[in-house]
Amino acid sequence: MKGIWKKITFGAAAIALAAGLGACAESDQAEGESNSSSGYPEKPIEVIVPAGAGGDTDLNTRIMAKAMEDELGKPLVVTNVTGAGGTTGTQKVKDAKPDGYTVLAFHNSMLLNKIYGLADYTYSDLKVAGVGVLDQSNTFVVSKDSKFKNVEEMIDYAKENPKKVTVATEVGSMTYMQILQIQEETGVEFNIVDVGGASDKITALLGGRVDIVPTSLGLVQGYLESGDFVALGVMAEERLEDAPDIPTFQEQGVDLVVDKVFLWAFPADTPDEIVATFTEAMSKAVESKEYQEEIKKSWLNPTYLNPEEASKKLSEVEAEYQELHELTEGQ
Amino acid sequence: MVEMLISGFASILTLKGILLIMGGVILGLIFGSIPGLTATMAIAICLPITFGMDPIDGMALLMGLYIGGVSGGLIPAILLKLPGTPSSIATTFDGYPMARNGEAGKAFSFAIVASFLGGLLSILVLIMIAPPLGKVALRFGPFEYFAIIIFALSLISSLSGKSLAKGMMAGLLGISFAMVGAAPIDAFPRFTFGNSAMDAGFSLLPVLIGLFAISEILINAEKTVKDNLKVNMKKISYKVSLKEYLGQGWNWLRSSLIGLGIGILPGIGGGTSNILAYVAAKNSSKNPEKFGKGVPDGVVASESSNNAAIGGALVPLISLGIPGDTVTALLLGGLVLHGLQPGPLLIQNNGDIVYAIFAALLVANVFMILFLFLGMRGFVKMLSIPQNILMPVILGLCVVGAYGENGRVFDVGALFFFGLLGYLMVKYGFPLTPLVLGFILGPLLETNLRRGLMLSQGDFMPFLTSPIAAAFLIFTVGSIGLKIYSNWKKKRNARTQQFELLEGEQ
Repeated sequence: MKGIWKKITFGAAAIALAAGLGACAESDQAEGESNSSSGYPEKPIEVIVPAGAGGDTDLNTRIMAKAMEDELGKPLVVTNVTGAGGTTGTQKVKDAKPDGYTVLAFHNSMLLNKIYGLADYTYSDLKVAGVGVLDQSNTFVVSKDSKFKNVEEMIDYAKENPKKVTVATEVGSMTYMQILQIQEETGVEFNIVDVGGASDKITALLGGRVDIVPTSLGLVQGYLESGDFVALGVMAEERLEDAPDIPTFQEQGVDLVVDKVFLWAFPADTPDEIVATFTEAMSKAVESKEYQEEIKKSWLNPTYLNPEEASKKLSEVEAEYQELHELTEGQ
Repeated sequence: MVEMLISGFASILTLKGILLIMGGVILGLIFGSIPGLTATMAIAICLPITFGMDPIDGMALLMGLYIGGVSGGLIPAILLKLPGTPSSIATTFDGYPMARNGEAGKAFSFAIVASFLGGLLSILVLIMIAPPLGKVALRFGPFEYFAIIIFALSLISSLSGKSLAKGMMAGLLGISFAMVGAAPIDAFPRFTFGNSAMDAGFSLLPVLIGLFAISEILINAEKTVKDNLKVNMKKISYKVSLKEYLGQGWNWLRSSLIGLGIGILPGIGGGTSNILAYVAAKNSSKNPEKFGKGVPDGVVASESSNNAAIGGALVPLISLGIPGDTVTALLLGGLVLHGLQPGPLLIQNNGDIVYAIFAALLVANVFMILFLFLGMRGFVKMLSIPQNILMPVILGLCVVGAYGENGRVFDVGALFFFGLLGYLMVKYGFPLTPLVLGFILGPLLETNLRRGLMLSQGDFMPFLTSPIAAAFLIFTVGSIGLKIYSNWKKKRNARTQQFELLEGEQ
């Protein structure tokens, strides 16, 4: 009897091992298709994401990393280095060996950390490799029972009830800047409360603890479809292809256009050839059909910006934030 | 629902599906059993592999990893007094003393069955009433969390061992260590002494394995080789009678429900539920003084609650698309990458996949108990490995685990710092668990206090007037009052006995 069990155990272990090897073989296939001439990359590249696993920063990076593996022929290993509002991960890349094997994937928060004095460096202290996706689906959502269902009604209601309309955010984040911007533009006063990350905001809105949640459309798709949430508007220049029924903020009289820029950057002293190889792979990856399909699932805009375009975009965003910060300081 | 579940089973009970679940459980058990490696890491590593699979196969693998990863922690907890994951801290309290008493086999039998049944109960609850339960979780805002955390912190009084003062000091020390680094809400660095490596503060894993594992290695290093535990392999008994199992019925149910409840509340996590269940078991036992010396009740409480937290954590994920901990956050990412929309419509729109997930959980739970029982005799053999070989290997694994979580050398330094601290605390009779509890709960307490005050615009009243919060605060006061009363009674009895003795002598 015991003998049989032993055989079954070994059998099971052997099968599991085989399954594991099979999976490995699958992920190794990419290695054969190396097409870079300079010899870079010769080993796996570590991608540092200064945000938690499972969030949109993490997901977008993983999708991009997967598409780039096919172009570069070496695995891109995504590591989440969380803490201190993203400064820990950013610092790690800044201090890494500039050999092209450590790269940062992050977004606008990096600019804010500098502005708020949480970090003494920003994107320009690194070598920007480019941008692979722009999130133009920034929105304000309210519950289906809300007293206002579009931006105009929101502003009227907030003016009648100063400091009574509760808006959820994380202090010092992108959405915090959006709220400040609306307050500046329209003269309304919200009650701004910190409730945590994207899913905590959904919980707070479902639980009726807040009135407005600033988020990305892709993160609340299910709730928009079920009718539990209503989007007041989208902060883009034009209505989104995937959500043609949601009007822009501009259409509704509030001049607010926000791009969440997902940038990739190397330590400052990384050789230009390496960054060039990497950014070329990025541009090809963004073109690929799989990448486009995956990214569009979250209603995001697959856009490639080369290092110069990316830096220009970031400097525009930074100037906007800086101005807003100076305007609202002390409030 | 039954039909959906049957078709769920049909979709995973293919050769590929079964192999994936099996592989997942085995890999998860390995990750869970190595101090410093966790279910979260196993899932993070395997997530990219699932991209290429169809959603059902991918989820089958991930569920296997989840169940295996949470369960594997019991092995080192019982054998070596090292909690493999934060979920098995309380398993060490009685599991290790049982192993020392030559009852390692029995401890395993209890722990494995408790894990299986705790998991089973929570999965069944998940399948049957996830949507209404998910709505309950929504009622918990900052005021309610604040009260629950206060309640959980009051448990330090039951975990302090001989000296309440030392327990409180350890708890406060834990809260203080948690304050290092970026503050909650505004992310301003505190107590970093201008050193940017400290900006992120100490992460839980190095603190936990430093305090428990490194300190234990240091203590072992003091002993001469002769002191080695000589275990007579043939004498280890694995037999647990049905009556003994049945005797744990109420304990199992209470612990599973605690695990389930904590699991459902996003953000508190499995590290707390096992300690909570242990304390509940101890306080409601007729022989609380036996806890910590090797009673199966402690093992059952801890292991049934941590596995029950699995089903609990999946409730808000499946019904609302809200992840409660790092593992479910990764699973959420996995769902999105497979083109599913987590949220209120998930069950309606993708019922086939949701029920395949349920079926995979049930199958993984069966594989888990199977593999653990099959491997049990092998694990126990670890006790016969000489300590001078085993301990350095564990030390190496701890370092790998501490580094692996965030890829920071700072965490390795923190590991040794907390190892030394743990060693000194044990030497001077300070309990370690209050420190861990303070470390986990301190930041949650502060965050929810500050969020609550933002929400109420500076008013403290809602912390007392919210019905759920009020109930937990009254519960806290009551349990502390009861503790004081029972201690006072004990002292009085001891004193009258002394009097009687003295009078008798006269």
